[in-house]
Amino acid sequence: MSQTKTIDLFFGPQHPGITGNFSVRVTVDGDTVVKAQVIPGFLHRGFEKLMEMRHWIQGPALICRICVPDPDHSETGYATAVERLAGIEVPERGRYIRSLMLEMSRLSAYLFYFGGYAGSIGLYTVGQWGVGDRDYILDLFEELTGARVYHIFNFPGGPRWDTPPGFEDKVDKLMDFLEKRLKEFDKLYFNNRVFIKRARGTAPMTKAYAQKMEVTGPNARATGWAIDVRKDDPYAAYPDLDFDIITQKEGDNYARVIQRRMEFEQSIDLIRQITRKLRKMPRGNVRVTPNPLHWKIPPGEAYGAVESSKGELGYYVVSDGGIGPYRMQARGPSISHGVQVYEEMVVGQRVADVAALMFSLDVCPPDIDR
Amino acid sequence: MSEQDFVERMAKFPGSEVKLLRKGQIAMKVPADKGHEAAEYLKKMGFTHLVAIEYVDWIKDNEFELVYNLFSYSSKMRVFLKVRISRDNPEYITFMDLWPVAMTHEREAHEMMGIKFKGNPNLTPFILEDWKEIPPMRKDFDSRKFVKEKYDSIPFVEDEP
Repeated sequence: MSQTKTIDLFFGPQHPGITGNFSVRVTVDGDTVVKAQVIPGFLHRGFEKLMEMRHWIQGPALICRICVPDPDHSETGYATAVERLAGIEVPERGRYIRSLMLEMSRLSAYLFYFGGYAGSIGLYTVGQWGVGDRDYILDLFEELTGARVYHIFNFPGGPRWDTPPGFEDKVDKLMDFLEKRLKEFDKLYFNNRVFIKRARGTAPMTKAYAQKMEVTGPNARATGWAIDVRKDDPYAAYPDLDFDIITQKEGDNYARVIQRRMEFEQSIDLIRQITRKLRKMPRGNVRVTPNPLHWKIPPGEAYGAVESSKGELGYYVVSDGGIGPYRMQARGPSISHGVQVYEEMVVGQRVADVAALMFSLDVCPPDIDR
Repeated sequence: MSEQDFVERMAKFPGSEVKLLRKGQIAMKVPADKGHEAAEYLKKMGFTHLVAIEYVDWIKDNEFELVYNLFSYSSKMRVFLKVRISRDNPEYITFMDLWPVAMTHEREAHEMMGIKFKGNPNLTPFILEDWKEIPPMRKDFDSRKFVKEKYDSIPFVEDEP
């Protein structure tokens, strides 16, 4: 072409093909993206600043809002950091309940994820099924914590209370149901020719690139890089649980979706291990928390990371010996794969894949904005 | 290699102050002009993953603290590489040559704390929009006062003449 004319397009913040309140300015040449610039900040609520004015114990009520579809990982990341700083050991049953919640949260986030990616390529039924099945998980969360989306349950020191009687059986029943549903999802989605044709070979990420750009979580594992915070920097009950790190090879959209599908199965297995263990354990002793109103943490700093459904989510907390954090900073997984990595990977893709790539990377804007 | 070996190796770096905080977490303080060199030293030791760049405002000491949170996948260890710079005209050097993703973290620190990073070409507004006050994560920024001045001054519809 002798003369090219490029156009700037705004994807978001009001766009069905965007993962939440986020915006991308893409420069297109015909149907091909030549440049992209992400515009975060629509969900900036200043949590880090607000935390400096609050007590240690008030943290979970704020920071569960850092990642909307996957709030329990935020709570636990913060709780882990504070526990490490204060030297608190959570009782065994508390650790198991925590892991149970985290895996349930991962399942619900992945159900959203399946629907999100499928929606971007026109398979809307998957999203409807996903949101419908997620509701059963939210029902269980409501029974356990009293809340559906933001649970404010994993405090520094352990979960707020023990599971209600018969909860483990209900969880197991739901796992049987989800396992059965996953086979139906396979037929509808993962073996669907539309999905395979659109996703295979689209926007591949190499292992070397993932390592260079600090990509974490399922996106990194989809390239064949076996990293997992649950193994590398264990927290909750994961050191006692039996699981392997699942990886894919190709690192393209297809591998990223299939990676999550395999981890969905793994989470079901982990939850079964946890409920089996919970039934055998004596009830009652789930947390240790000193007097919450006069709770002082020794000066120092600590970092607590969790493997969220999107990657490494960590909290760096600094104490000056007072009743609240001197500084708290969140490290959202999307800060690497949602900003620079996305901007670089989307170049050369077609306009139709701008949204698909964003969904397949699972960019979560609130953890960039905070 | 055990944690103690790591501490000893880090202590060999000139001017460093190393402390084992707890299992798997080490803090290493270095003078500001040695920061980049220390980061290279740690990267060679296997701390290849830059988790984040944390920034803390120690207003009593009139200093900003930059914490480079590094993780080693081979030894499962974490190190907080800390440097302190003056609060007056805060300026530091970029670590983009070691970790390309430092660009985003530095962009955030520039916006939230007002630290300039020499060599970073992309210190443009990131999360905030039309921000004209002092950087908001500084301790002397009073968010309550800001909210009162910014939003209390908007009159109710019925109050307008």
